[in-house]
Amino acid sequence: MKTWMKILLGLIVVGLIAGMLVFKFVYNKKHPDYESITPVFTLKTQDLYQAFKSNKAGSSTLYNGKCIAITGKLGKIESVDTLVTAVFVFNQGMFGDEGIRCTMIKKFNDTAKKLLPDGEVKIKGICMGFNDSDIIFDKCSIVNQ
Amino acid sequence: MRTNSLILILVTLLSFSAGAQKFITKTGHIKFYSDGAVEKIEAHNRQVSSMLDAATGQFVFKVLLKSFEFEKALMQEHFNENYVESDKFPDSKFIGNVTNIKEINVAKDGSYDAQVDGMLTLHGVTNHVKTKGTFEVKQGKLVGKAKFTITLADYKITIPGAVVNSISKTVDISVDITLDKAN
Repeated sequence: MKTWMKILLGLIVVGLIAGMLVFKFVYNKKHPDYESITPVFTLKTQDLYQAFKSNKAGSSTLYNGKCIAITGKLGKIESVDTLVTAVFVFNQGMFGDEGIRCTMIKKFNDTAKKLLPDGEVKIKGICMGFNDSDIIFDKCSIVNQ
Repeated sequence: MRTNSLILILVTLLSFSAGAQKFITKTGHIKFYSDGAVEKIEAHNRQVSSMLDAATGQFVFKVLLKSFEFEKALMQEHFNENYVESDKFPDSKFIGNVTNIKEINVAKDGSYDAQVDGMLTLHGVTNHVKTKGTFEVKQGKLVGKAKFTITLADYKITIPGAVVNSISKTVDISVDITLDKAN
């Protein structure tokens, strides 16, 4: 085999491997394992709620998209289809109860359903933002089981 | 004094009556779907807050853009960082009316056509949206469904040059909400 053919063949093989790696690790990369993410902040629910109420823009910049652990007195547990949401209630507004809504990772649905209202609970999840009524947390797990 | 008391009682009763006409949810579902030349893009948000005032027809929904879930993590990243810029514009909202609310009897089970008209804010841009949908009244709940299409350019959402020919310039939005009577 001629030298130029060997080089071309080598380049094609390297290109194919690079393409496969890009497909696997970039294009087709998995969502993070949310349960294992270390929280960037640990806060009391009341403090986080007040932070967003008093300074939405600043708090959004600081907290949105981050993994946060929050501790507080649980208001209620809501269950709709496969979604289980732990709710910390601080106010009433146009959409009813207002506060912090934490949608659980499915694995934690059964545990969350057993949580008692008014009980102290620590939950961590990704802060999605404040919609002027509620702070929304998603991919949540219960820390103090 | 007696007149003032009567007015106060009347106002209180009217307020209670109006409150009883409100239907709300915080777990509404919005899907968006885009059928591009190379790839179909689909995302779901199941944390939509919505309120319908059955007395006036006022209809509102709010959604946080980071709450849209994509099958592929990379698509989710691109959606938030390059398209809707969710750090800069974290939410989207619709404020409008069900214009034929008088034709919807929320006290009687059944399926009713709904005409929705209002303003949709996305990516910091507000545009007029008008669409048709349905409200199904079932055991005191209202199940609302509607579909409409938006053009990304209308909301100043730009498609990067490298993929401009492989991504659709319009997005189909489906709204599916189950509203409960507010307490």
